Amino acid sequence: MAVREAAVVGIGRTAFSKSSGRTPLAMAAEAARAALDDAGLRPSDVDGIIDFNTNDSASGPDVARAIGAVDLGLAMDVQGGGNLAVTVVGQAFAAVQTGTCDVVVVFRSLNGRSGNRYGRGDRPALAMRGDMQFAALNGYVIPPMWIAMFAQRHKHVYGTTDEDFGQIAITMRKHAAANPHAMQRQPIDMDDYLSARWICEPFRLYDCCLETDGAVALVVTTLDRARDLRHTPIRMAGFGEAHTNGGSWTNFPDLSEMYSAYAARRLWNSTGLRPADIDIACMYDCFTGTVMATFADFGFCPKGETGAFFAEGRATYGGDVVVNPHGGLLSEGYLHGLNHHFEAVRQLRGHAGDRQVPGAARALVTAGAGPAGGALIYQADR
Amino acid sequence: MTGDRPAPPAPLIDADSAGFWEATREGRIALCRCDGCGTWLARPLERCSRCAAPTSFAPVAGTGTIYSYIVVHHPAVPAFAHLVPYVIALVEFDEGPRLPGILLGERGPGVAVGQRVRAELTTFPGADERAVTFRRDASGG
Repeated sequence: MAVREAAVVGIGRTAFSKSSGRTPLAMAAEAARAALDDAGLRPSDVDGIIDFNTNDSASGPDVARAIGAVDLGLAMDVQGGGNLAVTVVGQAFAAVQTGTCDVVVVFRSLNGRSGNRYGRGDRPALAMRGDMQFAALNGYVIPPMWIAMFAQRHKHVYGTTDEDFGQIAITMRKHAAANPHAMQRQPIDMDDYLSARWICEPFRLYDCCLETDGAVALVVTTLDRARDLRHTPIRMAGFGEAHTNGGSWTNFPDLSEMYSAYAARRLWNSTGLRPADIDIACMYDCFTGTVMATFADFGFCPKGETGAFFAEGRATYGGDVVVNPHGGLLSEGYLHGLNHHFEAVRQLRGHAGDRQVPGAARALVTAGAGPAGGALIYQADR
Repeated sequence: MTGDRPAPPAPLIDADSAGFWEATREGRIALCRCDGCGTWLARPLERCSRCAAPTSFAPVAGTGTIYSYIVVHHPAVPAFAHLVPYVIALVEFDEGPRLPGILLGERGPGVAVGQRVRAELTTFPGADERAVTFRRDASGG
């Protein structure tokens, strides 16, 4: 069986809101239809569907049927967190490359604000088994706590300041100002950042992403077919994941770094590229602390210097690399990281309008925080 | 006296971890340890991840060091909403494994990475099991 090349050919999404009033099924179907329409493909072309969820969404086959795709060669519902936002795209590429499928829809759909909120500890979204059973009775059960624990260790090891975290939040909000789809577009400055209420020290309000209702979908097909479709095909130029230490948030060896300290080796070994070759970095930013660790782990700056990198304007337009031109999970919205792929594709097509990164040729997309995650590099087929 | 206060989230106990909870019910803290090579296992396992020998739950000294900590201000967990602000410390036991737990009697100021703590067992209102919690060790800085 010959290995074929694959590409992203379509992107789609719903409105992002705090209260959709819709089912994840309805939103996923809208995003999938929009992505197919964007590509110039029909629902009947779809023979594979892959999604991830935390038991808060619609199943892939259900979504496929809802758009009229009733005979699939592959259907994968993957259970888990934001690390999977790269996994599912990698699996879609693999399905096309191996000939398992010709047209694969990837989606994430959730009522992250009006439904099951990850920031609420009354109904923890993630099962309290394994190491985490020891965390349950103390209420150590939600992501802001776990990632704040990493951030505090980062402060201890590197002398990271509150302002260093603030620089990341301020940059994301500045970028979101040019994005009509973003949930929060009002610029903030350091005074706003520092005077906002504490959520979970060392995190204040603006260190935390925006729980959001909505859906995002991508369509992947063969590169041959992609070249006959509507838009510039977006290929994959690098890929690397790391699922470390059994996914333990408490016994990960060094909390001043994250999965990215492991995934970086696989990512850069999979390609001839280096961080300096990346024009756009869509960094998974569930919290500022996630960017603090992963940006350095992936080699954009020495460990402990992420805050200075942002403060010097090197993470925005005119700098070394534009981080999250859409405003990220912190300001566009928490679509569990699949919205980073939407933005990367749009930028590499040159369709990002007011926030277009001039001459963008390659985009890194990362996914996940703590012990598990991954990254891929997109490149326009020009 | 629990009033209307909700119970804290419950652990998912299984055959691999049952020994830990049997110990806490008897007022002891015991962690999973390999009977063969002596490795302490943060995640309870039927057999050692290093040498595959059987494991058992062995008592620990109950002392450790704050590896990191957070100060919870937003009352996201209903069982502890009345405590805010409170501290959760990630404590490295002297035997090696880390456990998270509320650092009782602390509200944030004065807490630091590296401080010595002592573990104890606390039954929070509404909970079926006893939680491992911590207090700063007055003698150990």
